[in-house]
Parts: sequence; C-alpha cells; structure tokens
Amino acid sequence: MSRLMSEEGIRIDGRRWNELRPVRIEVGVLKNADGSSYIEFGKNKIVVAVYGPKEVHPKHMALPDRSVLRCRYHMLPFSVEERKNPAPSRREIEISKITREALEPALILEDYPRTVIDVFIEVLQSDGGSRCAGITAASVALADAGINMRDLVAACAAGKVGGRIVLDINDEEDKMGEADMPVAYLPNLKQVSLLQLDGKLTADEYRECLNLAISGCMQVYSIQREALMRKYFATDKRGGDEGGGGEEE
Amino acid sequence: MSVKKTTTIVEQLRRAQMSELLAMNKRLDGRGLKDYRELRIETGLIKKANGSALVSLGNTQVIAGIKVEVDEPFPDMPDKGLFICNAEVLPLASPYAEPGPPDEDAIELARVVDRGIRESEMIALDRLVLISGKKVYAVFADVSVLNTDGNLFDATSYAVVAALLTARVPRYDVQDEKLVKSEETIPLPINTIPVSITMAKIGNSIIVDPNAEEEACMDARITMATDEQGRVCAMQKGGSGTFSVDQLNEVASLAISLGSEVRERIRSSVASSTGGGANSIRSMTS
Amino acid sequence: MSKRYVLPGDLIVEGNPHLKPLANVIRIGDRLHATRIGIVEISQNSVKVIPLSGIYVPRVGDLVIGKVIDYSAMAWEVDINSCFLGHLPAQDVFGKEFSPGRDDLTKRFNIGDVIACRILNFDRTRDPLLTVADKDLGKISEGEVVKISPTKVPRLIGKRGSMIQMIEQLTRCRIVVGQNGVLVVTGVNKDAVHVAVKAIRMVEEGAHTVNLTERVKEMLQGVQVGR
Repeated sequence: MSRLMSEEGIRIDGRRWNELRPVRIEVGVLKNADGSSYIEFGKNKIVVAVYGPKEVHPKHMALPDRSVLRCRYHMLPFSVEERKNPAPSRREIEISKITREALEPALILEDYPRTVIDVFIEVLQSDGGSRCAGITAASVALADAGINMRDLVAACAAGKVGGRIVLDINDEEDKMGEADMPVAYLPNLKQVSLLQLDGKLTADEYRECLNLAISGCMQVYSIQREALMRKYFATDKRGGDEGGGGEEE
Repeated sequence: MSVKKTTTIVEQLRRAQMSELLAMNKRLDGRGLKDYRELRIETGLIKKANGSALVSLGNTQVIAGIKVEVDEPFPDMPDKGLFICNAEVLPLASPYAEPGPPDEDAIELARVVDRGIRESEMIALDRLVLISGKKVYAVFADVSVLNTDGNLFDATSYAVVAALLTARVPRYDVQDEKLVKSEETIPLPINTIPVSITMAKIGNSIIVDPNAEEEACMDARITMATDEQGRVCAMQKGGSGTFSVDQLNEVASLAISLGSEVRERIRSSVASSTGGGANSIRSMTS
Repeated sequence: MSKRYVLPGDLIVEGNPHLKPLANVIRIGDRLHATRIGIVEISQNSVKVIPLSGIYVPRVGDLVIGKVIDYSAMAWEVDINSCFLGHLPAQDVFGKEFSPGRDDLTKRFNIGDVIACRILNFDRTRDPLLTVADKDLGKISEGEVVKISPTKVPRLIGKRGSMIQMIEQLTRCRIVVGQNGVLVVTGVNKDAVHVAVKAIRMVEEGAHTVNLTERVKEMLQGVQVGR
C-alpha cells in the first residue's frame, strides 16, 4: 500500500474512499453583486460573484436571441504555495472555458436576449478540486442572482489513489495519485456538463469512477440546497404570512 | 474571460437535413455515425526539426514539429525530462482565424493534446535524464493548424504522436560531469501510442470525428485518449450541452475500439512514411 | 394551504398535462420544474413560481421609476433598473407635431431627472418603450429615491395595497412604487420619510416572514411621526 492509502483503506487526510471533504457554502456574501456565494471545499476557499443580466459593452458582442455568458476563473497570487503570477495562466484560461461550458446548459439564456451575464470565480486559497468547488459555488450564485435556470449544477471529482477508486481528490492525492476525474452534474436533469480526466483508468474503473463522482455531486447538491434554503427561507419556520409574496394592488 | 464564440452559421435547411439524416444513422458527407474521415499521416518532412508530421483528417490539416533541447529539469522532478506542447491556429487556416496570441480554444487544444500524451506516459520521461538533477532532454512539440474543418483535437494529437514516434535526438556522452554531443542520433524512448478520439453529440446521436459543419451544430463534444492496454488516459468534455451517463459509457467503448484501429493506422503510416517535403502538402489536399 | 419553497430545477408536478407552466416554470417531458428560487402557486390549470431574487424584467403596463441617462434628437434613454434600457420617444411628450429642429428635449427632461413612466410595449427583442402620457406620470421633482429588490415589490404593496397603505397612513408619507424596485418617498418632514424608509427596509428584509404586517405596524406605532 502506498503512502496515500493505508492498509485499512484510510486516506492521507483520514477520509474513507467514499467520503467528501467538509463542504460549507454561504449565499449572498457580496453586497454589490446581483448574486454571490462563498464556498469552502476542503482547504479551498472561493468567492463567486454574478453580475447580470445586464447591458453588453461593447454592444456588438450582444446576441439577438440570448444572453451572453462570460466566466472567469482566477487564482489570487497568494492562494498557492509559491506565489502565482496574477496574469491569467493557460490553466486558468482552460478552466474558465470548461466552467462556462459546465454552467451554460443549466441557464435559460434565451430569456435575456441582448444582455450579458458575468461570473467571476476568485480562488482565495486553493486545494485539489478547485474547479469543481468553483462551479458548485457559481451555480449557487447564479440562483441567488435570480437568473432562470433549468437546474443547479453540482460538481465533484473522483479518481484513483493508491490503486483504489476514491471520491473527492485533495491536493496531495491529485499530485501523487493515479487519476483525477472532475465531473459536473445537473441533478434533476441527470446530465453531465463537465467531464475531464487526467490519468489512466481501465474501462471498468472509468465507469466506477464516473458513478462515484456523480454520487459525490449529489452530496454536494444537497449542501447547495441547504445553503440556498437557509438564505431564503430560514426565518420562516411556521409557514406563510398573509401576504406571502403573491398578491399585489 | 471565457465567452462562447459565434462560429459558422449553418443554414437552417442544412441543419434540418442533418438531423433528418442522423435519425437514419447517416451524415451529410455520406459517412456513418462511427466513421472517421480519411486519415493521412506523413512524417519527417521538416529536416530542421527533430521530428515532424503532417496530418490530414478530411480537410483538417495540421503540421507538428518536435524540437529537442538540453535543459535543466524542474526542481521538484530532478529525474524527469520535460515535455511541452503548444498549439496555434494559423491565420491562413480559415477565414475566421486571426493573428494574435493563442485564444482559449487554442489553449484548450494544446492542453488536451498534452494531457493525452502526458497521462498515457507515451514518452518515458525518466529516460530523458542526462545528468540527474542537472541536465535533461526537453521535448517541445509545436503544432500549427493549416486548415480547419473540425476535430482539431484528433488531428493535432495524431500529428504530435507521429512526430514523436519518428523523432531522432542527438546522443550525449557524459564526460567529467560535462555533456559531449555525439554524431549519433537516437529515437525517443516510447512506452505506448495514445490515441485521441473525439465525438460529438447532436440531438441524441453520437458521431465520431465531427467536421466543422457538424461542430457548428453540435450540443456537446467529448475527447478521449486511450493507451495500448485500452485504458482511458485523458478526457475533455466541451461545448454548451451535456451527456447522460449512458452516453458517456457509449463514448468510452467507442474511444477504446476505434482507438486501437487508429493506432494501427498510425503505426503503419509511421513505418512506411518517407518524408517527401513540401510537395506533399499539395498532394494531400487533392 | 402550506407553502412550497423551490429552487431552480426542483420538480413541481409530474404527469399532469393539463397544468400550464406560467412564470418561472418550465416543462421538461411530462414534468414541470421551477427555474427560480421562490414559492409555488398552483391554480386549477396553471403553475407559477413567485421568485424571491432576480433583476427586474419589464412587463407591459408596469409603472416604473427611471432615471434619464441620455437623450438624442428623437428620444430619451431611461435607466429603469433592468438589463434593458427604457426608450422614451420625444413624440410621447411633444405630440405628433414634434420637430427635432424646433423642440429641445432638455426643456422637458434632462440627464439625471427622475421620472415615473409606464411600459407601453416590450417583447424582449427591442428595448422597452416607455410612456409618460397619463396622470401621475412624468418628472418627479421631490422626495427620496429608495431602491429595493424588484421581487419584494408585491410584498411591499401587500394584499390589495394593505401594506403600502398602512405605511403611508402611519407615517403620513406618500410612496410611489415602481414595479422595477425603485420607490420615491415624500413626507411632511425628514423624520417621517426616515421612518417610512425604515418600514420599507423591514418589509424587504422580512418579505417571507410571519406576521410581518403586525411587526411593521408595531414599529411604526412606536415612533411619533410628524407631531
């Protein structure tokens, strides 16, 4: 057995193979943003802001039939061991792209033609799986912004470490492990909107890993739900008030 | 900031035709859903490079060159050589391509191709060490896209793989902790041949090797690289749509079975290729 | 009936083809899903979700309060707190006889002016068309501008105007409520306006809580206004 996995199947940070790191999500953390969230996913600390739908500048970027979604995944210089140059790296550019493509299927962009929706993901402290944590938090921030969505997007990785398929790879497991497979999932529509793989898996391991990652996404999804419910409905413990929100004039 | 680019607009008529045909398991260019386009590989055409390959996949055409230098290893990997992969879409490759630094598509292309080669451990990087912790071979793979007609991922990957397989690098002798270049050249140490297979989802159909028109209509894309043992080594989903778990199982089996087919094609092309020079670019576009 | 809270993607009903999806509900196959955070309202033949977050999307007939941010020879551009810019044609103000050479737009509304207007036309393909041609519409020259989340406007108004009327009566202020979440409060003095704004904030923050009307009333009765 390797250093990453003990004889008893305990991982380097004390987790079992199917255990998620502690995840905490807060909604509405930035006053200026139309929607925002903060996530701690293991040692990841990430803040996300959503602005929009809003007017497009420059105007020629606007689309006549739908909103334009723009995403930026960015790591702060002090978020990693060695200072990171603040200019976007190739890795960040790629992650910005796959993040956008993971969120896009969940959004009903046709409802907001000629507008833009900006998603900013800032990694304050990074650990393994920051792209999944970023997508998870971004989906919550989009819901907080009140943008029409077909579903939330929950993301979680699975991988192969010390010869075993395990859930939610941390930093050390990512660096030393055999494979890392980040997955984003639309829980109600049962669709995968992000899938990447680094590392070798047999066909059977691939299926096992994909299913495990999706089960992780479902766990993340329930944490997303709790966070949103807490923000929007927590003070209402005894049912509704007379006015609710419906009636007018 | 990542933003979706407006690509070729496919006429609604053609789009309708495409989905009609797909429902009957056919495609506009006459291929079956699981057929890839004609693949031609020519190696050794650039004599100044340590290795080179010109690949055409239908009308998509790319050229890869390998340059090998002696460099210092990364401090955290003193006993590994370096492999660095770059890609660019040349301004001459399509009416939409523009000069400038690589955009997010080109960066994704390079990183996905790099991932397939790196994760499959195609090159035995531990055998590229000349003096441990001090001097290693650094292998640079640069790919330029000459003509775009969809599926740049596979064409680029095949070009880099073919160029690596045929590359020859100078042999160095170590004398008193110093490197002495010999006249002799040696091939790169190769463990396996990774093969990238890209598939697209249009409606509910999965098609292999999408061309530009199909890419403009696709909901989502997936690229999978497999090694000689039929293991999946790298994957990347792209596009604004999604896949179901069943579809992801289907694409994995396809990538494995088609991968071994293409691997044989690469192997035989590499073995027979003579390297005809610039004329071959003309002959390949016929 | 107990309330049902939903998040985007939540299944509301399955296998009932007679129910029509209205605001913030989509049909996927034979299932109706919510698209927003909100409260479900099911009637005999339709389902909607009252959203609890989100920007203002114009609807024809809405009264909105906007800020003039630009003008051309033919029209004013009005910020109506939405992703779409309001468009008020000069003809709406000057009439059919409007002549860009003769009539000076700035004589009526200038940049920075706050105006009450109605959405005359909007189909999402063009910017919403505004009108000020009705009583109580036009330039607002006094009062305090307050912004709240547009999704909280129905709660602020209350059933048949109960909430807003109560606040108005107890503070002796006048409150013009734009559906876009922009309000203008005018009162006998600064203190009265201050108390009214405090009440509005209370409603905004506690929009979904129990006995809100009672608590707002208590707060308002606890302070002496305008005496």
